[in-house]
Amino acid sequence: MSFQPNQLCCVMRFSENFTAASPIPHKPLLKSTTAIFILILTMSFLIIEKSFAAEHVIQMTAEEAQDDGFGNKLLAYKMLSHTVDGTPITDRYSPIATIPGPTIVLTEGDTVKLTLLNAIPGDPPAAGLSKQVSVHVHGVHYNILSDGTLKVINRHLDEGAGVGPEDTFVTYEYEWNVARGTAGTWPYHDHNFESHNGSENRGLFGAVIVNPAASSTPINSYSLAKEYVLYIGDDAFWGMEIDGVSKKQSKHGVNPSLDAAKDTDVRFHLIAMGTDIHKFALNGYKWFDPGTYNLINQIAIGPLEKHVFIIRAKSSTQYMDDNFSNKLLGMIGSFNVH
Amino acid sequence: MSIKQANKLIEDKDDTMNKKIFGLKNPASMLTVFILFAATLLASPMVLAAVHNFSIAANTLPNGQLGYALVGNSAEAVIPGPALFVKQGDTVQVTLTNNTAVEVGFSVPGLTNTNTAKAKPGQTQNYTVLAKKAGAYVYHGNGKELLGLFGALVVDKASGPIDSYVNEDGSITPVTQSDLDKQFVLFMVGSTFWGTEISGNGAQQKPLWANPNLGAVENDIVRFHILSVGPGHTFHLHAHRWLKTGTNTVIDTKLLNEGSDSHTFTIKAGSGVGAGDWQYHCHLFSHMEAGMHGSFKVDPVGGDGASVVGASPYGRILLGTKDEPGLVTFEITDEPASWVRSARGDAIVGLPYDIKTKSLEVMSPGSSVNFVMSDTNGVHTISSLLWPTGAQHMPFNQTDPYRGGGIVKLDTPGLYVFTCKVHPFMFSAVIVDDPNTEGLDLGNPEADYKIDLVTGITGLPTSSDLAVRLLQTFFIATSPSNWKDYSSGLWNVKFPTLPVRISGAPFGNITAGGLAAPLTILNVTDAPLSLGSVPVPPGVGEVWVDTQFEKTSGKYKPGTITVIDATNWTVKRKIALPEINMNNPHNMWPNRDQSIIYATQWFDNKLTLINRENGQLIKNIQVGYSPSHVMTLPSTDDLTIAINGENGISIMPAGTTTVTKMMPTQAHGHTAASPHGHWVSADGSKIITPNINTGDVGIYAADGDIQSRTATGQGAPGAHPIAIGLMPDSSKVFATNLLHHSLSVLNGNTGALTKTINLIADYNPINGTFADNDGNGEIAVGVLPIQSPISPDGKSLVIAAMGGQIVIVDPITETIVKMLPCDPGCHGANFGAKQGGGYYAYVTSKFSNRLAVVDPDPNGDGNLSDAKIAGYISLVDNGSNAKDDTVSGLPGFGGQGVLAIPNIYNGWVQNLPENWKSGLTAAQRDPIGAH
Repeated sequence: MSFQPNQLCCVMRFSENFTAASPIPHKPLLKSTTAIFILILTMSFLIIEKSFAAEHVIQMTAEEAQDDGFGNKLLAYKMLSHTVDGTPITDRYSPIATIPGPTIVLTEGDTVKLTLLNAIPGDPPAAGLSKQVSVHVHGVHYNILSDGTLKVINRHLDEGAGVGPEDTFVTYEYEWNVARGTAGTWPYHDHNFESHNGSENRGLFGAVIVNPAASSTPINSYSLAKEYVLYIGDDAFWGMEIDGVSKKQSKHGVNPSLDAAKDTDVRFHLIAMGTDIHKFALNGYKWFDPGTYNLINQIAIGPLEKHVFIIRAKSSTQYMDDNFSNKLLGMIGSFNVH
Repeated sequence: MSIKQANKLIEDKDDTMNKKIFGLKNPASMLTVFILFAATLLASPMVLAAVHNFSIAANTLPNGQLGYALVGNSAEAVIPGPALFVKQGDTVQVTLTNNTAVEVGFSVPGLTNTNTAKAKPGQTQNYTVLAKKAGAYVYHGNGKELLGLFGALVVDKASGPIDSYVNEDGSITPVTQSDLDKQFVLFMVGSTFWGTEISGNGAQQKPLWANPNLGAVENDIVRFHILSVGPGHTFHLHAHRWLKTGTNTVIDTKLLNEGSDSHTFTIKAGSGVGAGDWQYHCHLFSHMEAGMHGSFKVDPVGGDGASVVGASPYGRILLGTKDEPGLVTFEITDEPASWVRSARGDAIVGLPYDIKTKSLEVMSPGSSVNFVMSDTNGVHTISSLLWPTGAQHMPFNQTDPYRGGGIVKLDTPGLYVFTCKVHPFMFSAVIVDDPNTEGLDLGNPEADYKIDLVTGITGLPTSSDLAVRLLQTFFIATSPSNWKDYSSGLWNVKFPTLPVRISGAPFGNITAGGLAAPLTILNVTDAPLSLGSVPVPPGVGEVWVDTQFEKTSGKYKPGTITVIDATNWTVKRKIALPEINMNNPHNMWPNRDQSIIYATQWFDNKLTLINRENGQLIKNIQVGYSPSHVMTLPSTDDLTIAINGENGISIMPAGTTTVTKMMPTQAHGHTAASPHGHWVSADGSKIITPNINTGDVGIYAADGDIQSRTATGQGAPGAHPIAIGLMPDSSKVFATNLLHHSLSVLNGNTGALTKTINLIADYNPINGTFADNDGNGEIAVGVLPIQSPISPDGKSLVIAAMGGQIVIVDPITETIVKMLPCDPGCHGANFGAKQGGGYYAYVTSKFSNRLAVVDPDPNGDGNLSDAKIAGYISLVDNGSNAKDDTVSGLPGFGGQGVLAIPNIYNGWVQNLPENWKSGLTAAQRDPIGAH
């Protein structure tokens, strides 16, 4: 495999959650006519922004995943239903529970009501109930009752579905305010199973992608052909691919082979998970460290940090974790450009 | 004077005129400042840099931790040290007075420092640091920082906004110093947060100690300075967002890299989310499990926004000085016996109670115990072994081994014993004493002073024989003066004079009716020790012993390899490898022609290649954390190294010196198996591991395919399978379960569990009596069984049991045949060739310095009932043996891995070169052939 010595041609500058107050100039990427167009567009959005705020109603379960063949099981989230202003988009998601869980794509200004059902078998005091699970989300706004933690942490109640140390709920509803300033990619994960640390180390994690409100960034002027969510675990990447047009989520699982059409723009969403500190590399590609003009070809990323970047697909390569043990354990996957 | 008063003093100083000019805190520096000011005015009217003089002392805190104090009016040492605020371009001059017993420096990574020297105890050093670049910097003691010698030096831009925060509508607001309502310094060290609350202008500082609850009022502008020393962390604060430094990118989690790192950000408290107890924590999962968290309490407007201090080194612990929740701290080390060492070190041993060990602490209910992995190159877990019945927050446990530490609050009185799952003799104990009872409580006073064990045993009376034995094991393991030194001729075991309170009517050796009784009643005084005679006939070749605890003068880490000449039973060589600071050598295996010995460094991440002929280092190779056992595949000669601290088996191809892959011992995303003493099939097709962390035996194809994983605990937790014995035809697998005192038998093909042999069936744990309860005609027990090899001919299995027994098992009938005595900490076993035919099992002990030689079948009739100890060999330097370093302590102690050369196991013996084969009988050369 050979790579162009300088991949600068294929690099997109991308501030993951660009805001209107950004001091970083847009100019290098925008022709002046486009800039004027966007300026007009921005102004119009400022006026009618409110009407674009969508209301998401989401139902998810937490379940046991398939065992490893020897009776050991992980846990996984599954999307039961997702409507946006009443319109169902559930068919975007896997019909079975996956690791990582469903990627929830939102836009600044949206609101979310997420109901979690506990479908983990156990020794229930009531049907369908077992040890409590929750959804604790990063990044977006919510009040203390939607923190997704146990009472020992939040001093209010056990905020999850199932049997907590103090409170028992069949389901639990979380409300998120996807406010301005929350654009970015964020993890969500359990915080309650068996202890106040939860079971994020056993598969109960997923990603929220908050796209900026159209007025605040040029991001929507790009057409992303594919988006990849890669959770970086301690012995594997847990990933999925999202199609840019159909928005369908696929290729769930370990070290997935990612596909892209040549000369299309694709976005990587990295989130680290577990205990190890990782060094992500995508051989032959460079990208801008979010919020800066620094071109990088690898990134140190610690648990629950995120790192998001766009590249233009040029040639096939591999993504990997360069951490000593994790590399030896085989944390490598293919990025295939056709 | 209290901290508050000291802070007031600082504040008062700040009210002087110098504050208006430079924000200086020390009036003594004023003259210098004015001179400098005048000089700079003359030289360059543009530069208004200030010179700050800080007079700082390094002190020892009541719990043995170290801390910095601002000198003046007996200000107390605090952790973190006093936060120093300066402006970009300023000069920081520090006069450091060292009041501790160790050398202390003042290092500021990232900034130029004129002096790298350390102050010796009782002495003073001066340091000048140029604050050229804005940011928060760690200053630390340059050596002992993980014990508390760290603080923040905050360098802000000389003018203009110092930071920005994100509003609830996403807009970004710049802030100046005067906009700040308060600041927090939070250090992430080990697995503990250390906090200081600071007023917005930096003038008032209040120590918040370990894992505090930080307080603020909604909409307060709060600046956080997160800093770290040692292994890395990620900082996460619930429901709040801030800016990635120097950008407008919004984040809520930030990596702090290994070494020293910092991250400063500003938030509006509760912005967009309102009031609440918002958790802050390290997001490394092992550190979450280690207790690394606290709360950011955002009060509604009108609340007081007061912070709640965490556990304090001055608080309610033995000899603590203040009536507040206390903190005892243990360092995790690679040091024999003191693997978990009170920060008070020798001081704790010399306290009025004569504690005898550095691994025991005493504190009051509601105080916390803190562990920091400050002096180890390996990875560990902090895991409960036993605790008072009904105690809260128990068992404490980290799922996977990692670097860091642990912190846990203990509310229930009684004895808590912690260990490391990887290195299960790394004991520490805390007695949480109810001040209202007579004597120190060993169990929960509200549950008849009983204890629970991690293996599922609940309500064990502390007066029981088992409890007493566990206590004895603890005091022997953690106190080298209690070890059996055969070169001294006498054995003394001394227990503390601590009066203890135990359950009801006494059993075992403790008397006094469950009331306070001194542990010294268990003392052993001047018991004669005789090495014993050497075995007859001699063995073949050499015996290599990991004398893992032996100390030598040329290196800091412990451990030697002692080579015995089996033809005359004398020490031939001591190998310490000071050039690589060889650290706790644990287990060995030879290459095909026996010219190279592979040795694992169990408290490190290295495999060492040693020239067998001359004992010299060939190469030291990184293989993964806490490598335990190493074996070759007889088919390819590739190396398989069990990575006990991680989740796989490292593979190093024959003839190379680089690991090419780590074969995972578990499916993706599952709990790390942390394999310990694996074995390999004679045909090289299978690798069989005892998975200590997941309580199962795994069978893996040589290419890595997971063929079976079988739990050995029979439904009970904490079996801790630790070593494998494999029949020479691979038909049966035997695994010792350290904490269940049992031997599992598995089908070698399917991995199915076919039998579990209880090794303590003949023992009554309550009254300590022995009887043939399993009806096999022998009274035989094996308490805490470890290595369990099967003879190359498949006729005998020998178990070294840490409780001080050797158990002979017939692997064909799967029955216990006999018990033989062993020394305390009996650990390693492996077979070698007996001259003229048959085999010896060589058995090592950690807490003695002799090697036991077992002859499982002296007359070679296949009946093991005449199994006996054939003799003993001293592991002590005899003055004339070859060596690469000078023994300086613990002579010959720490016997663990043992290896006979030539390697006579079936599958390997056939590969020996002719010169080695010629010393063996025909049967030894083909152990399971037709004889």
